[in-house]
Amino acid sequence: MAKQPMLKFVNFERQMPEKRNAGMRSKDFLEIYSEFAGKKAEEQASRCSQCGVPYCQSHCPLHNNIPDWLKLTAEGRLQEAYETSQATNTFPEICGRICPQDRLCEGNCVIEQSGHETVTIGAIEKYITDTAWEEGWVKVNEPINSIDQSVGIIGAGPGGLAAADILRQEGLAVTIYDRYDRAGGLLTYGIPGFKLEKDIVMRRNEQLEKSGIEFVLNTNIGVDITFDEVRKKHDFVIVATGVYKARELDIPNGNLKGKLAALDYLTASNKLSFGDSVKQFERGLFNADGKKVVVIGGGDTAMDCVRTAVRQGATSVKCLYRRDRENMPGSQREVQNAEEEGVIFEWLTSPKGFSNNRQGNDLSNSKVQKGDLKGVIVQKMQLGDPDATGRRTPEEITGSEYLEEADLVIEALGFEPEDLTTLWDQPELPVSRWGTIKVEYGTGKTNLENVYAVGDIVRGASLVVWAIKDGRDAANAILSQIEATKVIAAE
Amino acid sequence: MRSEKINLKSLEKNTYGKKWVKAENEKRTWMSKNSLYREDMEHASCGVGLVVSLDGKPSRRVVESGIDALKAIWHRGAVDADGKTGDGAGIHTQIPVPFFYDQVRRTGHEPRLDELIAVGQVFLPRTDYGAQETCRTIVESEVLRMGYYIYGWRQVPVEVGCLGEKANATRPEIEQILISNSKGVDEVTFERELYVLRRRIEKSAADAGISDLYLASLSCRSIIYKGMMLAEQVAVFYPDLMDERFESTFAIYHQRYSTNTFPQWWLAQPFRMLAHNGEINTLKGNTNWMKSHEIRMASSAFGSLADDIKPIIPGGSSDSAALDAVFEVLVRAGRSAPMAKTMLVPESWSNQAKELPKKWRDMYSYCNSIMEPWDGPAALAMTDGRWVCAGLDRNGLRPMRYVVTGDGLLIAGSEVGMVPTDEATIREKGALGPGQLLAVDMEEGRLFHDSEIKNKLADSQPFGDWVSKITDLDKALSKVTEKAVFSGNELRKRQIAAGYSIEEIEQILAPMVEDAKETLASMGDDTPSAVLSKKYRPLSHYFRQNFSQVTNPPIDSLREYRVMSLKTRFGNLKNVLDESSTQAEILVLDSPFVGNSQWKALKKHFNADLVQIDCTFNVNAGRGGLQAELERIRSEAEDAVRSGAGHLVLSDQLSNDIKVAVPMILATSAVHSHLTRKGLRTFCSLNVRSAECIDPHYFAVLIGAGATVVNAYLAEDTIADRIERGLLRGPLTEATRRYQEAIDQGLLKIMAKMGISVVSSYRGGLNFEAVGLSRAMCAEYFPGLMSRISGIGVQGIQKKAIEIHRHGWFGQDVLPIGGFYKSRKTGESHAWEAQTMHMMQTACNRASYDLWKQYSNRMQSNPPIHLRDLLAIKPISEPIPLEEVESITSIRKRFVTPGMSLGALSPEAHKTLNVAMNRIGAKSDSGEGGEDPAHFHPEPNGDNPSAKIKQVASGRFGVTAEYLNQCEELEIKVAQGAKPGEGGQLPGMKVTDLIARLRHSTKGVTLISPPPHHDIYSIEDLAQLIYDLKQINPRCKVTVKLVAASGVGTIAAGVAKAKADVILISGHNGGTGASPATSIKFAGLPWEMGLTEAHQVLAMNNLRERITLRTDGGLRTGRDIVMAAMMGAEEFGIGTAALIAMGCIMVRQCQSNTCPVGVCTQDEGLREKFTGNADKVVNLITFYAQEVREILSEIGARSVDEIIGRADLLGQVSRGSDHLDDLDLNPLLITVDGADKISYDRSRARNEVPETLDKQIVQDAERFLKDGEKMQLSYAIQNTHRTVGTRTSSEIVQRFGMRNSLQEDHLVVKLTGSAGQALGAFAAPGLKLEVSGDANDYVGKGLSGGTIVIRPPMISPLIASENTIIGNTVLYGATDGFLFASGRAGERFAVRNSGAKVVVEGCGSNGCEYMTGGVAVVLGSIGSNFGAGMTGGMAYVYDPENQAQEVMNMESIVTARVQIDHWKKQLKSLLQKHAVETESRRAQEILRNWDIEVNNFVQVCPKEMLNKIPHPISLNEGAIPAE
Repeated sequence: MAKQPMLKFVNFERQMPEKRNAGMRSKDFLEIYSEFAGKKAEEQASRCSQCGVPYCQSHCPLHNNIPDWLKLTAEGRLQEAYETSQATNTFPEICGRICPQDRLCEGNCVIEQSGHETVTIGAIEKYITDTAWEEGWVKVNEPINSIDQSVGIIGAGPGGLAAADILRQEGLAVTIYDRYDRAGGLLTYGIPGFKLEKDIVMRRNEQLEKSGIEFVLNTNIGVDITFDEVRKKHDFVIVATGVYKARELDIPNGNLKGKLAALDYLTASNKLSFGDSVKQFERGLFNADGKKVVVIGGGDTAMDCVRTAVRQGATSVKCLYRRDRENMPGSQREVQNAEEEGVIFEWLTSPKGFSNNRQGNDLSNSKVQKGDLKGVIVQKMQLGDPDATGRRTPEEITGSEYLEEADLVIEALGFEPEDLTTLWDQPELPVSRWGTIKVEYGTGKTNLENVYAVGDIVRGASLVVWAIKDGRDAANAILSQIEATKVIAAE
Repeated sequence: MRSEKINLKSLEKNTYGKKWVKAENEKRTWMSKNSLYREDMEHASCGVGLVVSLDGKPSRRVVESGIDALKAIWHRGAVDADGKTGDGAGIHTQIPVPFFYDQVRRTGHEPRLDELIAVGQVFLPRTDYGAQETCRTIVESEVLRMGYYIYGWRQVPVEVGCLGEKANATRPEIEQILISNSKGVDEVTFERELYVLRRRIEKSAADAGISDLYLASLSCRSIIYKGMMLAEQVAVFYPDLMDERFESTFAIYHQRYSTNTFPQWWLAQPFRMLAHNGEINTLKGNTNWMKSHEIRMASSAFGSLADDIKPIIPGGSSDSAALDAVFEVLVRAGRSAPMAKTMLVPESWSNQAKELPKKWRDMYSYCNSIMEPWDGPAALAMTDGRWVCAGLDRNGLRPMRYVVTGDGLLIAGSEVGMVPTDEATIREKGALGPGQLLAVDMEEGRLFHDSEIKNKLADSQPFGDWVSKITDLDKALSKVTEKAVFSGNELRKRQIAAGYSIEEIEQILAPMVEDAKETLASMGDDTPSAVLSKKYRPLSHYFRQNFSQVTNPPIDSLREYRVMSLKTRFGNLKNVLDESSTQAEILVLDSPFVGNSQWKALKKHFNADLVQIDCTFNVNAGRGGLQAELERIRSEAEDAVRSGAGHLVLSDQLSNDIKVAVPMILATSAVHSHLTRKGLRTFCSLNVRSAECIDPHYFAVLIGAGATVVNAYLAEDTIADRIERGLLRGPLTEATRRYQEAIDQGLLKIMAKMGISVVSSYRGGLNFEAVGLSRAMCAEYFPGLMSRISGIGVQGIQKKAIEIHRHGWFGQDVLPIGGFYKSRKTGESHAWEAQTMHMMQTACNRASYDLWKQYSNRMQSNPPIHLRDLLAIKPISEPIPLEEVESITSIRKRFVTPGMSLGALSPEAHKTLNVAMNRIGAKSDSGEGGEDPAHFHPEPNGDNPSAKIKQVASGRFGVTAEYLNQCEELEIKVAQGAKPGEGGQLPGMKVTDLIARLRHSTKGVTLISPPPHHDIYSIEDLAQLIYDLKQINPRCKVTVKLVAASGVGTIAAGVAKAKADVILISGHNGGTGASPATSIKFAGLPWEMGLTEAHQVLAMNNLRERITLRTDGGLRTGRDIVMAAMMGAEEFGIGTAALIAMGCIMVRQCQSNTCPVGVCTQDEGLREKFTGNADKVVNLITFYAQEVREILSEIGARSVDEIIGRADLLGQVSRGSDHLDDLDLNPLLITVDGADKISYDRSRARNEVPETLDKQIVQDAERFLKDGEKMQLSYAIQNTHRTVGTRTSSEIVQRFGMRNSLQEDHLVVKLTGSAGQALGAFAAPGLKLEVSGDANDYVGKGLSGGTIVIRPPMISPLIASENTIIGNTVLYGATDGFLFASGRAGERFAVRNSGAKVVVEGCGSNGCEYMTGGVAVVLGSIGSNFGAGMTGGMAYVYDPENQAQEVMNMESIVTARVQIDHWKKQLKSLLQKHAVETESRRAQEILRNWDIEVNNFVQVCPKEMLNKIPHPISLNEGAIPAE
């Protein structure tokens, strides 16, 4: 019998790559996990049970062939593992870092479900592709065919880039427009370096550029050029703008200085990491150093903010969230990391208003307060009965208000789509009541001819991996459309 | 003779009259055309034998003995419900010339005493006088045309009173035509011309549109009396046979057991030359090859008359009739009967260099170069007029016992004791072994034993000189260094274009190269049939492997490889009938597998022209492109052969970006069938090079389609690529050898599963059933291939081929991931996927029917996977209120959890199923492997953990008298859906203490389940096992589990006639704990096809009411259940779904013992993870029932009974994809006339079997059974007393328990005579059977602690160790007890014995096979392959001549002289006991000189036991090979 390299969950325990200790890591913006050593990655990959029905794949938006690259890794066939992984995912090393695996593949891993602890899929995915970069296996995707058509993609985030990559390979001319000075969208400016170091993203951008994709940066559609112009220039258009409109709290004294939107804060921090000069930071507003920081919200963006604040040298960082730990939307893993780094979570709390002093403004006083923000008036909450979705609704506990001192408040309450119909003057573009673009399921096709939309602008704020999936789907749909037209033309 | 008129009148009033015959005939014809039933699938099996006078003188004694024998084999046949209509019986004798001269005289003529008289036994149409007259005219004019004189016709007197009504209704007018040799030719010529005459008559009748004319015999030597009466009535029906003048030198007799219930007189045997008990598995291939052989054959033997005898095998012949036809031609052409047998049914020789003399091997090698063996179980009794022979097939799968009497008769037959003989003067008692022959030359008046006749035959020609011209190419090819053809990027493109996937390469190809074995997988197949799939599927996926069940046994290609052969010959096969050296100038290879470089080397050796035919077509070829290309390929092939090419090469290697590969299966079959039709196929070899071919199944399909050799060049290139990348051990040459080894083993397995041992007979036989190939395409390119629902045609294949070609040459260079074996999102769809499983589990955990409905809807919204997914249910009437429908409680009782063994399942999972099913009054099935006796008592909480159905599988593990009594139903698992026709293996690591205890084996030692039940090689054997089971448990019903296959309907009919109560039809997609991956995928049919066929054929034969039909295999929702019911099922098996309810999540790693959820593992740590409980299973079954109930209410049915068999309520709503020709499910939806009157009563009493001697024994042993008094009883017995002691044992177990404290001889039953089959089956402790005489097959089957002693009568002059005293398959599955037999045993002595201790004085081949426990002592010579697959127990063979080791199978055993006192003591004490019990002379002699004789014993110990036995077997530990 040949040796069975797999099913070793009966022999080995689950192990993650080493995490740098909190004291060390909270001083810089480098990633907190070290890399697996080769043997350890093989051993951990060999724990996979090679299931007949791979739940990991079923619960991966990209349906990555996880058991297959785990097997290849366990057998030391890293280049093939990389190829297999890359075949279904444009940015496997990025997903390996930032996907909430505990809610996706790893959370549904069969051996996890049956009580043996999951295979460390994300860490191995990251290991495979990082190795591929080191070894020079990651090649520029030169076009293999030539199709004499062009596509304009609005937004250089993961969705847009994923679509661009596939279409370019098939030989289309691809132009990507983005309002920022660097491509990558949230990968570049949204996600802090301690989760995703920036050179990881930049080297992907470079590869894409080398493959012949044209990047038109610092260009805001609807401002610098019109949407119609883009449509005219290209045979196909993919809208991949993401959702950037930050939700704001509508509570008293919101005008006080010292309150930021999460994305602005993170973008500034990320720009600094690139060595850019950021005026707002220099002026002090975007710098948490020496401040008491309060972050409002319980999603992954909130987690990014608290941990960024820690790294900037905040004297204290607190996170307010109106439900409890079990009912928060963000990743449990991130909460744990944040706590390790000194963040204090105030569960079951909701901001009632802001205060310009350390005693707390009387909120019943309707007088507009001025000056710098000094604290948040917090309402304690309890969880009531589950609602229709099964989540328990928070209810206020009357008379439980208290003041949480704060010099900087970051609102991480989620994002909403911008009003593209107006901004772009496209009354025909169908939007949902949430402002997202309506598309055909599985293809991203809108009802504007040859216009597709992908990612957050379709889904609302969601995961990077979903954006990649949408981008790939739309690209394939465009290719099928081209193919179908060809067939019709031939007949 | 009674007045015909009276009978005619009464018949008209009768139910079974002319009208009935007509209606019945029409019904069968219609069914054959429209339903799943095919007439040519009828099976028959039987008892057979002969009597011959050694002095060559005719006598009454011979004829009377034949008649006596027929009276004693009735139990090997079957009887219709009328109690009188048999399946056919008959007798073949010499023509008693004086008797017929007297008949001539009675007509007023004087016989011409100087001319030979010939008699034709003619069946004429009885009721159609016009046709009758036409027939007479035809016969007469043909006789006169040939120039012979006709004395006249004689109406054969018959006694119709003994016939059953049905038999009488179909009875022909039986007359004899008496002919005189007025031309004065010699006897041989006369006989040959009579043969031609008969063939002419048959043809003329066919031309005249008459189907009812049949000549049972037309000969100047012999005559055949046969018909549809019971065997014992043959001589009553034909008073001729009782006439004192009716004398003969020989009598060949036959009793038939048919799966058919429509009495057809001409199907009765004997045929003209032979009588056959068994089945020819290679019939299709043989018939095809004969079409090519006969052209040259006929002309050389019959010259100008050649055309009259072609086709040699008349259309519609049964296997036996076809064999008879070819046999007859060989004989008519001058071969003797022994030589004809040797050519057609040779013994296995290619792997037996040690056992067989060189000159025999030369002879067989010669035979192999001219004729493909007719392979399959066969006991043959045959004559050519001069020779009378008895012979067996190469595997010895039918019994043939013989005695030579003091008064000079040889009596041979299926059983011993059929003819009373004088024991005091008896000369010899024997049994034929595999491939053996016994021949009497009546002219010379001499008996030739096997080696005598073979020596004589081998000496008759210079075979050695002739075969020296056979070039064995293996030596030349073994030196070749393998090289890849394609590599790098081009390889990748070609792989993709050939449909390769990463899965295929990683999971199928790579393991074959690594281990030289096929990879194992588990659980069932839940992917769509190829025809329903949206993905590209290689053409091989449309072919389902045929397999044996019931009517013949599969073979164990691993343990019995000696009889298997892949020997492949090339070359221009000359006339079969020439006996000269020219035809032996041929090339042979040991396997049809050829490597890339071997292929190049091979071409150099070809001694005739080679023509390569390009099998590609243009990618832009429009509609009809592929079709045109096939025609081109065919005509190129034909032209090549006609211009003298001896070797054709079909290759797709020239495919490129614009040329698409023709699927090579299609190309191969197109050419093979074309050349066969043109009679050209034997002029050339057909060599195939295929890119797509990768797994053994694909190889098998190519060879089945006619390929001589196959070069899977792209698979080899893929291997080379992996070696290059360091993924496989090189060098390529060795890796390719390992790949070849795996493919060879796979091919052998595929052949073996349908009982074929020799590839030359498999080749071109298309032993597959197509699911979803267009009928028109099959008729054109795959003639003879069964394809019953049509599907994809040439145009669709072209479309698919172009699609995959584009992927390869114009797509990305990334191999698709796969997903055929294990689910992948981009791969094939699977019925079970993450979300549905989760929904179903949650539904069962929370008892939420809402969730179940969501699950069920989700399942039904899947893309079509099963045939039933193309069907919809029609209402009977308006919906009716739910309350009025049969209750859930009542519906639930129809559910069964099918046999899943403890061993596969963890004890927790196994018990949970039992408890759950018992709680709801449903049934669980223990599976193979016994059950913990602790389960036979209720749990403290009242739960019953004992399975209501106990399985009896081929391993017989844990099958004891006690186990068999602890149930309501006994299930004989003939085949398993996941791997029909294959055995299994429980690896040592899974054999825990508990399992070892239950299976009566040793912890950590591998346990093998053989492919066949060694006591079921044919349908009458199954009837015997059913009889045994009904004896050991007088209350239980007996279930027979079959797997859906074409022909399962006729098998089911046979099973019903064997008195089974329930028939389970399993779909191919049933699960397994471990099986070769390709077996899970490519054998068996969907249950929809098997179930409907079984239901239709049972209904057609009026057998449906006797049987409860059950089905299983992927029943996932209430809708599935309702559909199954409409197709005829009354009960439903839920396997995989039940496992999922208990926590299984289809990890598909059952084979590795690492089930993470503790369902399918014996690992204690993993078993702790088991989260299942009975409530979940109860919920599951409740949901099914509830959903069924709702559907019933919707369609307006009040109970399940109302919809059973209502296939008319199903309608086809989809005909599959656009590219299909047609996908026509109507054959499934046929209802049989009168089926609406069938009542489905599941609570009916079991079908009772006749009583045996035990009725008397139990009565006489009252004091013993009541009060435990010691008793001794005495009876005379004969072979018709079967299964003696078993019913008594049942009483013992019920009264005293199996682990009782009775004395060994508490009840002694003394028997005198020949005991029937299964003497002492499952005999319990306290019972001792002592036979003075002999016994037939299956002595001590399942022996459970009793003692059996068999010794020759005191007066017998025979030397015990030289004569056979007990038959085949002794102690099969015995768990405890003793057997002492003073004489030789037959084949497969002590097979799968796991605890009995036995002494015999010699045995046939395959002794101690699969033995796992107990002790066997053999005091005489042993047959070949001793100890194959023996993993436990101990054996001692007395071997003073030092010959035993030569014939042992040393794979799993070691041998040593008996050196250690512990073992010496064990041996000696058994010998002492043997000597006391049987007074064995040999035992006494050995004991007298013990100190010397002990050194003459060989001790045989399984390797796996070496570290587990209490004492070593050798003083010198190092001498024993470590394992």
